[in-house]
Amino acid sequence: MGVILKYAVAGLVRYWLIHLDYWQTIANRVEIATPLNSWKRLMEGVYLYDHNIDPYEGDSFHESPIMLLFFYYIMKKVPFILPVLFTVMDLLTAHLLYKTSKAFIRFFKESQEKNLLEVAEESKPMLLEDKQLKESAEYVLSVYLFNPYSVLNCAGMTTTVVQNLLVATALWGASSGQRIVACVFIALATHQALYPLLLIVPIAILLAEINKGCTKCSYIRTLLVFVLSWGFLIYLSAYIMNGSYNYVYNTYGFILTVPDLKPNIGLFWYFFTEMFEHFRVLFVCAFQINALALYIVPLTLRFKREPVLLATVLIALSTIFRSYPCVGDVGFYLALLPMWKHLFTFMQQKFIVGCTFIITSALGPTVWHLWIYSGSANANFFFGVTLSFATAQIFLITDLLFAYIKREFTLKHGSSRQVDGKPAKLVLR
Amino acid sequence: MGSLRNLLYYSFFLTYFLCVRCDDFKEELYIKPLPPTHLYSYFQFVTLVNSELSSFHSHLAPRSLAEVVSRFQVEELHLTLTEGQWRHHQWGYPVLDAAPGAELYAWFSPDVVDVDTQWKKLSATLSGLFCASLNFIDNFNTVTPQMALWPTGAVKSSQNITTQLRYASLPREIVCTENLTPWKKLLPCESSRGFSALLNSRMIHNTNYHSIGVHVRKVCKSNDCLETQLEFKQTVALVYDYDIISSNDWSFRKLFGQGLPGACPLSSDSKIYVDVTSNDTQSFTLTPPPDNVIVSQRGGSDTKLAVYNINPDGQMINIGVKYKSKPDLPVSVPPPLHFTRYILGYGKEFGGIVTEITNNLWTSINVVVLENAPWWLPIQLSSLRINGEAESSLVQSQYYSPGRSRQKPYHLELLMTLPPKSTTTITIDFEFVFLKWQEYPPDANHGFYVGSALISANLPTARNYTSVPITGSTFDSFVNASKTWYPIVFRTNGAMVSLPTPDFSMPYNVICLACTVVALAFGPLHNICTKELVLKPLGTPVSLTQKLLNLFKKKKD
Repeated sequence: MGVILKYAVAGLVRYWLIHLDYWQTIANRVEIATPLNSWKRLMEGVYLYDHNIDPYEGDSFHESPIMLLFFYYIMKKVPFILPVLFTVMDLLTAHLLYKTSKAFIRFFKESQEKNLLEVAEESKPMLLEDKQLKESAEYVLSVYLFNPYSVLNCAGMTTTVVQNLLVATALWGASSGQRIVACVFIALATHQALYPLLLIVPIAILLAEINKGCTKCSYIRTLLVFVLSWGFLIYLSAYIMNGSYNYVYNTYGFILTVPDLKPNIGLFWYFFTEMFEHFRVLFVCAFQINALALYIVPLTLRFKREPVLLATVLIALSTIFRSYPCVGDVGFYLALLPMWKHLFTFMQQKFIVGCTFIITSALGPTVWHLWIYSGSANANFFFGVTLSFATAQIFLITDLLFAYIKREFTLKHGSSRQVDGKPAKLVLR
Repeated sequence: MGSLRNLLYYSFFLTYFLCVRCDDFKEELYIKPLPPTHLYSYFQFVTLVNSELSSFHSHLAPRSLAEVVSRFQVEELHLTLTEGQWRHHQWGYPVLDAAPGAELYAWFSPDVVDVDTQWKKLSATLSGLFCASLNFIDNFNTVTPQMALWPTGAVKSSQNITTQLRYASLPREIVCTENLTPWKKLLPCESSRGFSALLNSRMIHNTNYHSIGVHVRKVCKSNDCLETQLEFKQTVALVYDYDIISSNDWSFRKLFGQGLPGACPLSSDSKIYVDVTSNDTQSFTLTPPPDNVIVSQRGGSDTKLAVYNINPDGQMINIGVKYKSKPDLPVSVPPPLHFTRYILGYGKEFGGIVTEITNNLWTSINVVVLENAPWWLPIQLSSLRINGEAESSLVQSQYYSPGRSRQKPYHLELLMTLPPKSTTTITIDFEFVFLKWQEYPPDANHGFYVGSALISANLPTARNYTSVPITGSTFDSFVNASKTWYPIVFRTNGAMVSLPTPDFSMPYNVICLACTVVALAFGPLHNICTKELVLKPLGTPVSLTQKLLNLFKKKKD
């Protein structure tokens, strides 16, 4: 009953916000709408497509042709359904995350029982009981439904709503062992925004663990299904655009080369505004490698046994370092964090991170107004806010990982911090 | 005897040469008082070249320009450099309208395959010829108008002219003496004799509006148009404010700083036309008296022109007007079509461009409006509203070419029917673009110029219309030239937007700070992935001296 009430309230809030007079303001906020996902650009793309002008000829539309066609038919046939559609999609995302976290709990319990022997006697009380685990699924749902970042993202009708749905479906598919669903949906998400490409690794591990049997065969099968479906989507998009692959420059090309320097909550915009021209290519490559390829191998090797943690961290890192992030992406990974509620006691920077989130969320719109509308601040102010927001997110993620290894250590060696009776501290070596 | 034979020989050769070349040079000056307190003077220097093929042996035509035209296979070329804004609703229409700043458009011959390369070469060459920044013309500010511009010269009816056309305007261009001097050098008499002697840069850059132009086109030699001639027309349009010359009585000496030292000896015809239509209501006297006064009836409006034939005798002429009494301010009759353009919105995030076109006629009229937004002003076609309507019935045809950042401008053309006695408002939204720091011009907070929109119309009446008919090249053809339509291309006023700017002194700081944040992630993640947790016993707290000693000890090791 409580769950249904949560859905109803969250749905009503979203639906009400979309019908508010301030809807335009929300949909145009620089923190919510980026050139990649804004509703305005989607409208322009559909309008151009409707008037037989190739939307990829110009610079105004960066969504995939599949999305273009999808929204084209909706706007042509049933435009009045759009507010409901966005609300339902977001609720569905919440529901899928809820189901994913439930599956994850099952999964977590199994591994806890399996590793019971390794746990030190004095750490036994730290093991999680069913009640605690069940709570975390409820928290995942609540956070996604009532986090202002997700709510505003849905109210702004950005295409990130669709992307969150696709990623959530893929995670749910993986956690319930449905290879085809997971691979097809992660391919759809990759086709739309490229960065979810990273998630194929945790999904492959998760699928291999759930569908017991030959691990390597499972990896290969997952990868094969993913590559085939991604390839098919690329071909299908070209088919929609009458066999022209020009859209690739406006979707993947746009994400990778960062030609639009409109401010957002990420790190790219001011960095590449102020970049010296002859270093641009070098730094574009460096930043994209940082977002796409740098952390995947080491993190996979380190957290092979925890694919869900790996997925959470990869989603968060790609959100922080992607070229056009928005608060919708942040809201999505924040909703995954309550799954790791048992790690919170080991985290050291919760307070700092929490304060920074609140302060930057308030300060960002303020300095934006000062810079753009009243002309009494300059770009540095907004840059400073985005910088501290990114730093807070980084602290959150690294703190989470430290907490995980600390808990792992404590489980194994007990909670006493003493060596031979002398006080000691935990250090990395 | 021998010298006489030589003389005969040379004179024969000379006549032969002249007859073959048959270059014809004419200079004209047209002066018209403009309501409320302005004076329009328009210079026109026309050179007709008979054989267009051998442009390397030019006689009166400017060889440097002829070479450019033949080298780049240009069919028709229009270049104007303008400072100031023509006020159509007050002043009526100019003989030739020009966009503020530099404007260049050209049709290339159908033989030219790679028009874009040829266009870039042409603009670069003209840039050198006129000392203007035309070399900044590139693909990102060039459009190919589909409906708004048509050649004024003779073209073969079968050829596809639109694909060979390129149009660009540089609204930021500042026009000054360095453009006028090379322009004067193209004239056969340069600035020593003839009307061009009046063009003192000291005086003409003091005006409210000045525009210099070069127009090259092909004209028919005869009615059947089997042969064509090349016409080089150089123009100067000046608008003086009576307040600047500090009285309503004007004379050449007041306007140009000196009298006219006779006609250019190389010109076949040198005439000055003064529009004296307003003499009926506000009487003034012309000194010296004109040679004759002609009345032209054209498209329902009467114009009285006082004509002076100027001889190349080197005598100083100072034409002037003296009002009998202090004249009242004339009431300006609004022209049949006028327009304004302005920017909407506040802040530096979202805005809109509005073009308002007023039709004062009792009939509806078709116009083509060309909106040409630079790439840094991305307009959204879905936000196009005509009188507030998304799908307006006024639009007959529409062409849109979306822009691309740093590559292509946004180009929208609308063929519209303006209802009689109405004002039509075209609104389109745009979003401000954040440029790279090196793309901002010096003084970035000065603002960015948005070029004018083109409005092309066929007017049914010649009220306020001063243009020379398309078939003629001189003002003789203006007299009694009634037609069904009077084609004209207007340029609206330009606009200015202020783009958001970054802090230009910050590049190193920004690079350092952003990289630090990346490193903040990289360091801990590297530690987590490569190191393991161990318990390390805490030593007893050490004093500062101990710490220093420890430091040295380590070094010894």
